Amino acid sequence: MTRVRIFPQDCKGLENCGICTFVCPKNLFHSSGVMNDTGYIPPEIEEENKCTGCENCMIYCPDFAIVVEKKSEAVSYDGETEIGS
Amino acid sequence: MNSEGHPLKKYIRKHITKTTMCPGCGNGIVTQAILRAIDELGLGMNDFVFISGIGCSAWIPSPLFDADTLHTTHGRPIAFATGVKLGLPDKHIMVVSGDGDLTAIGGNHLIHAARRNIDLTVILINNGIYGMTGGQTAPTTPRGLKTITNPYGTLEHTFDISPMVSAAGASYVARWTTYHPRQMTRAIKKGIQKKGFALIESVSQCPVQYGRVSKIGKAVDFLKYFKENSIKINKAKEMAPQELKGKIIIGEFMNTTKPELAEGWSHLKCHLEERH
Amino acid sequence: MVHKTSVLTGTHFEMGNWACAEGAIASGCTFVAGYPITPASEVVNRLAERIPKAGGIFLQTEDEISAICSAIGASWAGCISMTATSGPGISLMQENIGFAVATETPLVIIDVQRFGPSTGVPSVGLAGDMVQVARGSHGDYQIIALCPESPQEMFDLTIQAFNLAEKYRVPVFLMADAFIGHMREQVVIPSEEDIIIESRKIPDHGLGPMERQDFLDVDVAPMPIFGLGYRAHVTSSCHDEHGMRNLSDPSVMHRYLIRPIEKILKYREDIIQIQADYLEAKVGLVTYGTVSRSARAAANLAKQRGLKVGTLRMITCWPFPDKEIRQMAETVDYMLVLENNNGQIYPYVKAEAVHACRVDFLRPQTLGQIHEPDYILAYIEEMIK
Repeated sequence: MTRVRIFPQDCKGLENCGICTFVCPKNLFHSSGVMNDTGYIPPEIEEENKCTGCENCMIYCPDFAIVVEKKSEAVSYDGETEIGS
Repeated sequence: MNSEGHPLKKYIRKHITKTTMCPGCGNGIVTQAILRAIDELGLGMNDFVFISGIGCSAWIPSPLFDADTLHTTHGRPIAFATGVKLGLPDKHIMVVSGDGDLTAIGGNHLIHAARRNIDLTVILINNGIYGMTGGQTAPTTPRGLKTITNPYGTLEHTFDISPMVSAAGASYVARWTTYHPRQMTRAIKKGIQKKGFALIESVSQCPVQYGRVSKIGKAVDFLKYFKENSIKINKAKEMAPQELKGKIIIGEFMNTTKPELAEGWSHLKCHLEERH
Repeated sequence: MVHKTSVLTGTHFEMGNWACAEGAIASGCTFVAGYPITPASEVVNRLAERIPKAGGIFLQTEDEISAICSAIGASWAGCISMTATSGPGISLMQENIGFAVATETPLVIIDVQRFGPSTGVPSVGLAGDMVQVARGSHGDYQIIALCPESPQEMFDLTIQAFNLAEKYRVPVFLMADAFIGHMREQVVIPSEEDIIIESRKIPDHGLGPMERQDFLDVDVAPMPIFGLGYRAHVTSSCHDEHGMRNLSDPSVMHRYLIRPIEKILKYREDIIQIQADYLEAKVGLVTYGTVSRSARAAANLAKQRGLKVGTLRMITCWPFPDKEIRQMAETVDYMLVLENNNGQIYPYVKAEAVHACRVDFLRPQTLGQIHEPDYILAYIEEMIK
């Protein structure tokens, strides 16, 4: 089981960033529809149980706003299967 | 920034609450790649001095990194770093700056530091444009692109930074894009471990300035663009120049071992002391 | 650390540039960066041979910009650091002179002066940079500049320059010229125990930068040099006492702009040195550097002719010895400023003196030559008629 934590106040929004929505292989990120204190609309994650634990969202997020916590064995990319190879 | 949560936050100064980067800027991806490389090597911030110049990407170590940081004049971080390295030969000295800073105004220092093979790790974030000052042409802007300062399209050719620095004498040179943060992290780790001049060219997106003039679009469109237009260096070697037009060649351009300047000075001083 | 055996104690007959290099060695200098330029090259040429044996490093850089930048970097790395150049090199260094002031970096810059631009007058002694070292970088600031008048002083004042740089965390210039740099005279180097060396203060350990004052202290903050775990934040961007960038608080900007100036002016009495010899004089000659030798000869000649001519030599040109000039102006009836240029320091002297006496300027009969004492005396006789 993997837990994805989003820190909405650190996010700079889906409108102009939205990198998490692009790099998630399961397309789990969607707009939360709620504006944060600096005026950006962060994502929320649906169907967390479908998360593969690949950590793409965490590694690509330019604002350190997403943390993937792995509770047990989860699939992680290694050098051969990662995107961009 | 949240004080807890993200495991790499421990390397960021506690009082910093926000980065200065625009939404979707590639600098944040490179920031993580740098910190992850340091973390995975088991090093700490006290093992480093970070030096940066002027431009958006120079604001990565200064003020974010909780370390000794020197934020210098435009174009000169490598010159400052040369003095810091010779004064502190046992520390890792990392320069983080942009293409305008390091190849335009600071181009001379870049090639001479590579020639000297001084043990610096240079993270050169190449977004192909002057972002902070409002979208002017850089030495890395593709020929023909219309910018603020070339409204009829640039007539000038483009620096190919990684081969240039390899030719100048660097020990380690790699190029990756922000679509390749894991590979970039590994390259940064190799650069830090390399005893000699190391350059990691990080091709990055400036959705605000470059996105506007190139019509590529927003951050996500850039990542798609990098995905579709990146060619591994081994594959590129087998391709014709025409096929490589507009492509980004990624991978390791140089990985060699040769005498390093700061170590050379340590040996010379020992030798002279023995004779003394 | 400089080796004990490095100081060449004894009496020598050597060039000013040689004496300057030995002054740097005796000061414990550990990092020298430079780029070849006439008439300063002998300083770095000698140090290139001497400093590695004394445990230091000499770096020949790709240009003067790199020379000053690497010297500033080395200073933050804990080295006692310097560079040496002449006018065109100073012009190239200007932006980073301002950087060194704003980041409160100890640094010695040897300027063996000539005239420009470029190779304009490369090998003739002229005081070409008297204003540009103090006013040439952008913004307002104070540096310290010392003016030797002999090879002996190129040794003595080089040591003083390092001491002032380390004590006040500021770039200090040694304003020599091609005459003094290339002149051979007796140079006495004292024993190492008799050479007083000031070292920079560093902060106590245990506190982070947000709990320390690293910058903007009029009493000179301890310098959080790199590599010791201070996690210093060093920037020439507008910063607060912790070194942290702050462009939103006008009071921080005000302190950032004035504290490095106040730091020097507060301690002017400790910094400024003059050599005054004008008791009961009617005419005062104001000089610095090489020209001071002619001024003394003219004053002696005047005495023989029954004229009361005194001298004031500015050993420190910057910060400007305004009070000392005013004191002289209020004593004498005439002041004559002698410089080997077209009057660079003259306006500053005049501004302090003209309320109390007549102030004139005299360049040499031929620029780049030394003022003939007779020529000075002839001018004085005309002036006081």
